[in-house]
Amino acid sequence: MATHRKSQREQQKSRSRHRLIARATALCERRGFAGLATAEVARRARLSHGAVFVHFPTRDALVAEVAGAFAREVTDRLHALLRDAAPLRDVLYAHLRAIASREDLYRHALMDARAMPKTFRSSWIGIQSAVSGYIARAAEREIARGTIRPVAPHLLFNTWVGLVHHYLMNRNLFVRGGSVLEAHGRMLVDHMMRLLATKEARP
Amino acid sequence: MSATTCISCGMPLRTAQDHAAGDPSKNYCLHCARPDGSMKSYDEVLVGNAAFLTRTQGLDPHVARETAKAMLAQQPAWRRQ
Repeated sequence: MATHRKSQREQQKSRSRHRLIARATALCERRGFAGLATAEVARRARLSHGAVFVHFPTRDALVAEVAGAFAREVTDRLHALLRDAAPLRDVLYAHLRAIASREDLYRHALMDARAMPKTFRSSWIGIQSAVSGYIARAAEREIARGTIRPVAPHLLFNTWVGLVHHYLMNRNLFVRGGSVLEAHGRMLVDHMMRLLATKEARP
Repeated sequence: MSATTCISCGMPLRTAQDHAAGDPSKNYCLHCARPDGSMKSYDEVLVGNAAFLTRTQGLDPHVARETAKAMLAQQPAWRRQ
């Protein structure tokens, strides 16, 4: 009986934790990470303010949890979209689709990252390196085949992500509403592939 | 559903090949394993992860090392380092 009660308490605790993370994620998606207020997270999760700190010792720990879960979601989605030895074009599209599924949250993370605690920034940098790794492996295969020009992995990634992040950060300049990556993703991928193509591989 | 992750570096362990020595019973990844299958030390993993950050994003080596430290501090194998 005591074991059953303990198990019920653990299940309840786990549900509360998940509810807090879900409500915090929804708030970050709407207003960004920097302004996340633990009192509002608690209210929306229908828990006491103190309950937040049973699960997360500080506000930063809650924000780090949201960022870590988001990082895993983006890289899991990217992985799920790719088949083995996918061409570079497909990897770039998959990257955009992985971001577009959570475009608002990603955009807020991008805008807020520099002002956030170290754990948040390391998760953010981790996402970028994971994506860069996928891009680099696809690029290596195409460089070997002579379809794209040799480019160092970090310069290839920084060129691509600089372009994508510019469109995300200045979204209001490129679309009147909705997803900027849905609207302009194909153009960005086509542009990148044209920049990289060897003379022989150009259409 | 999200995969389990390497206790050392946090890499998702999605397939048997992602695990050390291709052995799903090992809870660390192929990158955190030595050639004999044992798990690398903290310093070995730190150096490897910092090099990966520099190779993939061009981070300054000092920034890469500090970032790798922050990443490893969140992993079960190294939380007490």
